[in-house]
Amino acid sequence: MMRRFFAPLLAVGLLAGVAAHAEDTLSPLRFQSAGTFGSIDLAAAQRGFAVYQGVCASCHGMDALHYRDLQALGLTPAQVAGIAASVKLSDGSAATPDSRFKEPAAMSMSGAVPPDLSSIVAQRAGGTDYIYRFLTGFGPAPAGVTLLPGSNYNAAFPGGQVFMPAVLHDDAVTYADGTKATTAQEAADVAEFLTWSADPNLSARHAVGLRAVIFFVFLAIVAMLTKRRIWRQEG
Amino acid sequence: MQTEAKQGWLASRMPGMSCLCAMLRERRAPGASWLAVLPALLGVLLAVLLASGAVLSVYYNPRQAYASLQGIAHEVRGGWLVLSYHQIGASLAFALLYLKLFHTVLVRGYRAPAEFGWMLWVKLLAVLLLTGWLGFVLDGGAGGYWSLFNATGAAMTLSGFPGAVAMWFFGGPVGGATLARLLVFHVLLAFCAVGIILMARAATRRAQAVPQGRLVAFWPVYAAQYFAALSVLALVFAVLLGFAPHWGLGAQNAIPASTMVVPVSISYPWYLTPVAGLAGVFSGVAGHIWAVIAAVAVLYALPWLDRSGGAPPGRFYMVLTWLLGLDVLALGLVTAFPMGSGLPELLTFWFFFHFLVLTPLVTMMEAA
Repeated sequence: MMRRFFAPLLAVGLLAGVAAHAEDTLSPLRFQSAGTFGSIDLAAAQRGFAVYQGVCASCHGMDALHYRDLQALGLTPAQVAGIAASVKLSDGSAATPDSRFKEPAAMSMSGAVPPDLSSIVAQRAGGTDYIYRFLTGFGPAPAGVTLLPGSNYNAAFPGGQVFMPAVLHDDAVTYADGTKATTAQEAADVAEFLTWSADPNLSARHAVGLRAVIFFVFLAIVAMLTKRRIWRQEG
Repeated sequence: MQTEAKQGWLASRMPGMSCLCAMLRERRAPGASWLAVLPALLGVLLAVLLASGAVLSVYYNPRQAYASLQGIAHEVRGGWLVLSYHQIGASLAFALLYLKLFHTVLVRGYRAPAEFGWMLWVKLLAVLLLTGWLGFVLDGGAGGYWSLFNATGAAMTLSGFPGAVAMWFFGGPVGGATLARLLVFHVLLAFCAVGIILMARAATRRAQAVPQGRLVAFWPVYAAQYFAALSVLALVFAVLLGFAPHWGLGAQNAIPASTMVVPVSISYPWYLTPVAGLAGVFSGVAGHIWAVIAAVAVLYALPWLDRSGGAPPGRFYMVLTWLLGLDVLALGLVTAFPMGSGLPELLTFWFFFHFLVLTPLVTMMEAA
């Protein structure tokens, strides 16, 4: 929707630049979902789902989602059915598009329970950016930091120590669209996917919001002018 | 005319209808301030809250509060919009009510014969605060759960009549059925708020001096003003709806409630923060409860704390009232973003000092 409004502007001013760098959203880091007029980058969110399914899903559930919801990311019903069929639920049966995302077996990382990721972007200060910084924030502990047994150093995590290990690495998944699966790319994609799951209507909300604001700006101006005119005549 | 014939037909069969029609037809003095439309806008917002709340209540399940709200946002067609209408409607209703109360204090609109109307506005504040808190709790989020846990735990320590009232309200310590119970009170209080606002508006109007001189009809003069104000409100509503749906609500309540994870501090929606800050200053169960009751009570008693008689507000009083507004604002801010110890205590002290000491003194001085 936003494209329709801004396409002419973009075409005039930014054509060359946008065309040349359309895929490079990592340096500098830029999320299409960020900002007032942001919308979900469906391609990135699809790749993010692949990362979730291949890596995150072994510990983290997403109980607000059904497999059919993936159609909102641009997957066809057949593709969704294929994805669901490849998932073996805990009772041994294959999932269907109407199944909720598979709940991983209950587990604890040294007492820390992996949180459900459905709304994680809404639940953490910093949202999408924080998820990216967290997933790319693992590393060796700086001098002077003593880690608790079983914990890992993470620069973005409040307190610096987290029981979740670094799970993303280059080529942890293979992207169907040929994008090179670097750690940063995987983190950015899964952050976009989680942004979508926390607010599936983000794109629609921004599009509806912009139209409503434009409408009410005009209505308010007309109503104000009418009021002034009536009050000058009668007030 | 056809319409008047219909009105006459209805008025002769249903008491009170002629009064409603007369309200629209009554002639008023020209040139009323924009602030005079606040009660009407508040009424519109309450209507939005009731309508969106009616939709939400169909899908809401108090025994799985968090999951059912996620279902509304994800599964119900247009559910995310209705949920936003409800959240933003509540935010704006509080904003307008705070504005209305502040303005009434500023221009001393609470003095006789308007004191009855003022008391109704304060009652509306008390009812909406309780309704708003219940709404916060009904989210099933982490903040709401632990706020409820503290409230029920505190209520169970009460004995005698207050204990009986608390037991009737909460039904015991927080458990699986508590939210089902509180949902009933949330809805009930919302309807009470509608009744109170209608009474408050009628009482405020009756207290106004009978307009003299040239009068104008509601249509089109005031209809134009109401419509303009309503379209500005709709604009603000649309901005929040599209671009800041969770403004002032905090991220904590987006986390599902867990009995195993206690938050370091509870973050409230912005409109509850001044009250939460004020209650937090006093220690103990009785302290929290009495602090809130006392804060509402000093507002309620304002017509008698003001010793000015009929004198117009002086400059010093105006300055102090603005200071009070900033004080309440700051109290909300330091509750939302804790900074420096002693600040909430100071701001709470000033709140009571303003009403109990400064108001009687200054109004007496300025009247003399």
